[in-house]
Amino acid sequence: MKKNIFYLITGVVAFILLAIFWYSVENFTPVIFTIAFVIGVILLYLVYRKVEDFVEDERSARITEKAAMRTLQVFWVCFCAFSILAVMNLLYLPRFSREFWLNRGTETVPPMLMSPKIIGYTQLLLLCLMIFLYVGFRIYYARKFGDWETDEE
Amino acid sequence: MQDLTQEDLAKAIGVTRQTILAIEKGKYIPSLDLAFRISRYFKVNIEEVFMYDEIVRTIDID
Repeated sequence: MKKNIFYLITGVVAFILLAIFWYSVENFTPVIFTIAFVIGVILLYLVYRKVEDFVEDERSARITEKAAMRTLQVFWVCFCAFSILAVMNLLYLPRFSREFWLNRGTETVPPMLMSPKIIGYTQLLLLCLMIFLYVGFRIYYARKFGDWETDEE
Repeated sequence: MQDLTQEDLAKAIGVTRQTILAIEKGKYIPSLDLAFRISRYFKVNIEEVFMYDEIVRTIDID
């Protein structure tokens, strides 16, 4: 098996696990997620053993390091920005109406609340997007460090 | 040494063939450790295999 297929399977397993996690949260059944997590890890381990072209050298380690670092840099900004928004929602902060800005009035309107469910799903979506972002950065750095170079002779 | 392939060299120094190719093409700058392993494999000094290039180094940092 090629390692790219392994990465793809890892992404799919992670996505399924996250979905099960939120399902467990909503249905108050943490045992489902615990079992799913153990099964997921065992499955990934079994798939990992089938990978034939896994040679880790300093160049591939550098690609992984660079991709992970860049993903983290983007991730914390996105996640913090959304989390601050979510906290503001939970704190029930009033927002200013359109009339306030147009007429310099003092009128405020009640905040548009996001439900904790929506907050959770959005965070789940952000996490999934980060996985795709990581894959994107991996492709970028692999290309930069000559992963798809071919011999001229 | 004329019959030496990238695959043979890669196996001998413990890296992938793609890494050898990337070094040849100037896409990847090897660590000092790897540079020494390559030069030792060819039984030459490191300066005979690699030379420092300011421009390439700048690209790598970016």
